[in-house]
Amino acid sequence: MMLKIIGGLLILTACGLMGIAAANKFGQRPKDIRRFRASVQMLETEIIYGCTPLPQAFHNISTKLEGALKLFYSMVSEDLQIGCSNSFGTSWSKGLDKLLQGTNLDIADKELIEDFGKVLGSSDREDQKKHFGLFYIQLKQHEEMAEEARRKNEKMYKSLGFLSGVVIFILLV
Amino acid sequence: MKMNNYKIYEVLKFMPKDINEMIEKLPALILDSIEEIRLRLGKPLILYGGGKEYLLDKNGRLVFDEKNAYICSIADIKNAVSLVTNFSMYSFEDDIRNGFVTIDGGHRVGICGKVVLENGKVRTMRDISFVNYRVARQVLGAADKVLNYILSSDHSIYNTLIISPPQCGKTTILRDLIRQISSGIPAMGYKGRKIGLIDERNEIAACSLGLPKNDVGIRTDVLDGCPKAEGIQIMIRSMSPEIIATDEIGRSEDAGAVLDAINAGVKIITTIHGSDIGDFLRKPALDNLHKYLFERYIIMSRRLGVGTIEAVLDADYKALKNTLTKEKLQ
Repeated sequence: MMLKIIGGLLILTACGLMGIAAANKFGQRPKDIRRFRASVQMLETEIIYGCTPLPQAFHNISTKLEGALKLFYSMVSEDLQIGCSNSFGTSWSKGLDKLLQGTNLDIADKELIEDFGKVLGSSDREDQKKHFGLFYIQLKQHEEMAEEARRKNEKMYKSLGFLSGVVIFILLV
Repeated sequence: MKMNNYKIYEVLKFMPKDINEMIEKLPALILDSIEEIRLRLGKPLILYGGGKEYLLDKNGRLVFDEKNAYICSIADIKNAVSLVTNFSMYSFEDDIRNGFVTIDGGHRVGICGKVVLENGKVRTMRDISFVNYRVARQVLGAADKVLNYILSSDHSIYNTLIISPPQCGKTTILRDLIRQISSGIPAMGYKGRKIGLIDERNEIAACSLGLPKNDVGIRTDVLDGCPKAEGIQIMIRSMSPEIIATDEIGRSEDAGAVLDAINAGVKIITTIHGSDIGDFLRKPALDNLHKYLFERYIIMSRRLGVGTIEAVLDADYKALKNTLTKEKLQ
């Protein structure tokens, strides 16, 4: 009997934790979008006020960040500086693939960010400022959608995990 | 190993990868003679060098029929502009407005496209579809032929104006004059002079991160990217130069600043576009420089190749030296 209870508890916690992990994924995405937006704001400052060329600007930003974002910015900066890529867009996309592995951004976010890479650096400052403005609005929409998904799914996945644990327990006993 | 001492490789670094690879396959002799590489949207890639024109196919082989030539795509042009501006067009706004960007090594890349106006002035250029890479070469000793006429007996120089049409080696001669006068010429017992160089378009000294990429002598201070009129004032005030050198004067502010410099006891070497002394005298903006300010005029052309010295005139426009046919041929 004792053994059964311990086994059951183990199943319960395992399933509960799985639920929490799945729920966390939804909780992390809005945070990651917010962090990314903050880094883009730094980039805007470098471009609009500092007039810093992109390779240098990316390097400067990477020194102020941590984790996956730091890796992203330093990777793009290096890729541009060693001169192995033809266009900024390809370096940006390459870095973006890495960024997606290290964060909870989803495929829709990737497409949005990838498109932004196509206009970054390709026009004068006034024009760049407009692109940044538009990009913030789009990122905000993604953030709101992510927030909405979190509200809907976070609780559901948590209880789903726990409840499935209970079901398995009942079936086994 | 490739011979990286060719200036052309400095330019190729800023070309789209596939075009770079095509051009690199050319025979070394042709490669070394290349002066211009032209990209036009939807038109063949054309190279110029040593008075000849070269067309390439997509494998980098020379072709004579333009139907077989490599045609520049929109991606080529976009990548070219992006590479030349270090992926950041916004940090080259002024250069783009002027129609060219100077890259490392002092090479110029000219660009043309749709001009956007604001209050009747050029604000920027969009839809860039013509790109011209111009290979700049520093020719040490280019000024040897005229040096004698410019050095004055009191170990200084005469105020000198170089008159030349575009593409005749005017900047090359100016650069070499600056180098020799600044470093001194031991063979002639000439001691170097302090020179203030106002390099508005970054092509004489070709500074990169503040360091001249071309040799402009050991007593030269370079004011990089500064408008000439203001630059001359700054130089006189801050660096106490004995000689001021600058390229392509043309506006009336420039003329005023040159006059100020001469009145401050500073010698001047400068250049204008034109093909003879008449072109200089007909420019109304330079009205107050016409009378006896310059003591030497060097007239250039490319009649016998780039860098032909047609004549050296004194302050009264009398020829000190005429058509150097013989010397050129030697």
